[in-house]
Amino acid sequence: MKLLNLPERLGLVSYRNQARSEIKPHIVVDTEICNTTCPHKATTYVCPANCYTIDDHGKVHFQVEDCIECGTCMYACDQGAVSWNYPDPEIGRGVTWNFG
Amino acid sequence: MEDERFDCIVVGAGVAGLAAAMVLARNNMKFLLIEKGEFAGAKNVSGGVLWGNDLARLVPEYWKEEEGGWERFINHRRLTFMDEQSTFSIDFKSAHFNQTPYTGVVVLRSKFDRWLADKVQEAIDASDFAMESFIAPNIKVDEVLMEHDKAVGIRTGEEKFYADSVIIAEGVNNLLTRQVGLQDDYVPADHVLTGIKEVIRYDQKVLEDRFQLNGLSGMSNEFVGYATDGVEGGGFLYTNRDTISIGLVLGLKDLRKKRKSPHDILNHFKAHPVIADTIRDGEVIEYSAHVVSSGDKRLMPRELYKDGILICGEAANLLMNAGKAIQGMDYAMRSGILAAETIVKAKEKGDYTSRTMKEYRTALDNSYVIKDMNGFQDAVHMLHSPQMYKDVPNLICDFGRKFFSIRNEPTRKSRELMSESIKKHSSYWDLVKLGIKGARSL
Ligand SMILES: Cc1cc2nc3c(=O)[nH]c(=O)nc-3n(C[C@H](O)[C@H](O)[C@H](O)COP(=O)(O)OP(=O)(O)OC[C@H]3O[C@@H](n4cnc5c(N)ncnc54)[C@H](O)[C@@H]3O)c2cc1C
Ligand code: SF4
Ligand code: SF4
Repeated sequence: MKLLNLPERLGLVSYRNQARSEIKPHIVVDTEICNTTCPHKATTYVCPANCYTIDDHGKVHFQVEDCIECGTCMYACDQGAVSWNYPDPEIGRGVTWNFG
Repeated sequence: MEDERFDCIVVGAGVAGLAAAMVLARNNMKFLLIEKGEFAGAKNVSGGVLWGNDLARLVPEYWKEEEGGWERFINHRRLTFMDEQSTFSIDFKSAHFNQTPYTGVVVLRSKFDRWLADKVQEAIDASDFAMESFIAPNIKVDEVLMEHDKAVGIRTGEEKFYADSVIIAEGVNNLLTRQVGLQDDYVPADHVLTGIKEVIRYDQKVLEDRFQLNGLSGMSNEFVGYATDGVEGGGFLYTNRDTISIGLVLGLKDLRKKRKSPHDILNHFKAHPVIADTIRDGEVIEYSAHVVSSGDKRLMPRELYKDGILICGEAANLLMNAGKAIQGMDYAMRSGILAAETIVKAKEKGDYTSRTMKEYRTALDNSYVIKDMNGFQDAVHMLHSPQMYKDVPNLICDFGRKFFSIRNEPTRKSRELMSESIKKHSSYWDLVKLGIKGARSL
């Protein structure tokens, strides 16, 4: 059986408000902390939706669009950079599982 | 407005909140069940097997319903130790488990929770408050309203709803439990795991033949060892009607330390030769992830009640995982039932203060939930020790390989083979220590 990569996997997820151009991000990351004092940059590899990435210059970026609301980054970041909340049902993104 | 006031507001229509709501409806309470998802279950992920028989307390004879919310009943259980090439399983199947009430049913939450919510709605319709109790999806509770340190309702956006009590059944990512001061604002990664999972579809006949399923019977399989690629935790595979749920739970602190990605480890698990054979030719139809508690009591909130507030389900980190099963949903169900029963009593007494709320804690302490959590803490710790997720599976598989190889040479005694495997992967002394721990903890 073919193993799926992450984009293929995320392609199977039903997101809410997918058509909306403007969404209210439910997670806010202070990347200033990521790029100065964070010793491990753990969220860039433990997030199961790869919302945290490191660019060629070693800088951390965050995007909320692919987030599947698992909660992992809220615990994994012990640097105080992650302000975590649930998405707003009307103007946020977030998931609707078909199976769960 | 006083007449708009509810007896209770339940936050979260997962297993815990739905169980609570069912008991409230049956006892003619006026309540509001609020869920942020599009419908009950829309946001929820489990493996998952709902163990035990509490479901029949909420929906009597649920098994008689043709299109019930559950997938299959478990009559076949397997615990598998893995190394790189091999699996060594303890396998138990019994016709005893074919009888109702079942001892466990596999569920997919998006379907199961929605079905259970329909049952709750039926109970509301039959209650004195058919027109005044509601299940309200698509609403996120932003805050529990407190007056003089007692809960008086909730706020969502600009809107406020008032009630004599609030049951917080918000699940493991318990923001409201933190807001009311029962849990620290930042919870470290130490005792939580990231659960990750795929649902894979087959032709139903293929699935039934492959797993020897008959009618609606099903199998649950837990895995330790190679599955988690050296990270603490374990794997699971459960059979649904025409799909399987396959996934892992991975210690988050250990993932961070070992710099590994959960989605890579899931592929590592699926690529194992024995697993690859088992799951071949299926089509992945969903990928999901969710944090899950470890079952370590140190994760629990400081207290599970306060004036006008009760915390239940995984919001209270009620969970057991000592290797042979994950029990989060049955704990959620029981604690939801006990929380609602306490609210019913509080209404009778006209006292929603801690004095009455405390009875929930007492009832929970006397139930199997806290008794098992207290009794099996050592087993929970042991599952998260490297011997358990590394050395033991390796040595068991090493032994298995030698024991089951027939070579047209003089056959060696198993004792000798075992001691060789032990020396290779561990030491007698470590095993004696583990054995003592194990004997004590189980
Ligand atoms: C991969 C994985 C495998 C698992 N396997 C098993 C298994 O095999 N067996 C088992 O028993 N358990 C299993 N579990 C654990 C089980 O899923 C949980 O313990 C269980 O779901 C807890 O139920 P709950 O009702 O307390 O919380 P949840 O199911 O998380 O429900 C909480 C609900 O509250 C809602 N909510 C939260 N905050 C708000 C808010 N502010 N406003 C409105 N609504 C809100 C959520 O949307 C959600 O619907 C597994 C978990 C994972 C992640
Ligand atoms: S762990 Fe926290 S501080 Fe470090 S990169 Fe991730 S979000 Fe930034
Ligand atoms: S909640 Fe989960 S999916 Fe969303 S950003 Fe955090 S770790 Fe990634």
